[in-house]
Amino acid sequence: MSHARPRVDAMKSARPGPTRTAPPRPPDGFPGARASAVGAVPPGREKLRSYLAFGFGGFFLMSVSLLVLRAVWALGNGEAAWSRVQASLQNPIYVIFHALAFVWLSWFVLRLFRLFPATQPRRIGPLRRPPDAVLVGGLSAAFVGVTLALAAILSGALG
Amino acid sequence: MAETQTKTIVVTRFDPDRDEAPRQQRYEVPVEPDWKILDALNYIKDEVDPTLSHRWSCRMAVCGSCGMNVNGEPKLTCKDPVTGYGDVIEVAPLANFPVIRDLVTEMEGFMERLQKVKPFILRAKELAVEAGPTRQSPAELDDYRQFSMCINCMLCYAACPVVANEPDFLGPAAIALGHRYNLDTRDQGQGERNEIFRDDGGIFSCSFANECSRVCPKHVDPAGAIQQAKLRNVIDWVTGLVRRREEGVR
Repeated sequence: MSHARPRVDAMKSARPGPTRTAPPRPPDGFPGARASAVGAVPPGREKLRSYLAFGFGGFFLMSVSLLVLRAVWALGNGEAAWSRVQASLQNPIYVIFHALAFVWLSWFVLRLFRLFPATQPRRIGPLRRPPDAVLVGGLSAAFVGVTLALAAILSGALG
Repeated sequence: MAETQTKTIVVTRFDPDRDEAPRQQRYEVPVEPDWKILDALNYIKDEVDPTLSHRWSCRMAVCGSCGMNVNGEPKLTCKDPVTGYGDVIEVAPLANFPVIRDLVTEMEGFMERLQKVKPFILRAKELAVEAGPTRQSPAELDDYRQFSMCINCMLCYAACPVVANEPDFLGPAAIALGHRYNLDTRDQGQGERNEIFRDDGGIFSCSFANECSRVCPKHVDPAGAIQQAKLRNVIDWVTGLVRRREEGVR
């Protein structure tokens, strides 16, 4: 059976040994990797797909940042400019975009919060790191709180 | 009592003298319920095909020799039970490594990366023997103990998408090991190591896929080590800037 797979250039030695070697293969689930002998989707492939999708989600972050910059620019250019920005945000395309951006942001923060405890040292200053559940719960509660507060402000219920 | 069951083991074969590229070979193996994947490979080697090459030693998940891709996942084959799989099990050499023969990968690139991070105690000035042992409290040991549990099995490298994309990436185990020494209170080489960490292919190449920590059989959590190293390096860099500015003002 042929074992043709895309090559990667990983983990080669700076001083090649005397033995001829086969080139490294990418991890299973990498784009372009062949299907496994045990099924079309080997275990782990879904995780790499979600990782790649997560990376692609940076598109939303960049786009939302540009929109925020545009809003800030409008604020500095008078009420008419600000009104134009507000009117443009009523466009269904913007509404759909923001709905997608919100879904992605929620996914992003939940993934980040789940991984967050491992990124903290065992001692933070003189204190021991709180239990993982406390960190994840605290961050999640803060995210929900800030989201609800922003939604209330933007909808006019507050302020 | 559970009975012997026949499973198909699909093994990646590569003979550098004969094969142009790796190929796959199927073996029917009567596996016992308490077997690990390594037992099935040893059965093939002993009873079916003595030409099969694979690396193993301790059989107790300590030496880190028997790492292979099993059904696409990097696993320690001495720790991985055959009962966890279906009737067909695919065993391949670790991804991201050049293959010397069959399931044996070349480790030289890995060893070079380990050496780069200076994985030993560095002192600005050696202590005299008369000064006695350097003491360390249990709490100080606890700071880095997790990162010292690595057995160099290289599963993290086989799982890492950044290793596949960036040939110069130091990789999870090497960075975790360097970070382990940076956290050691006896060590004074943080500056040297952090320069290596901040260089091309260092910690900032990591995009936190977390695959390394997911596959680590010893729960070392190299992804956590890399993120901690990033944080420390950013803090060091900022404090360095402030210090330089203050010195400039004086």
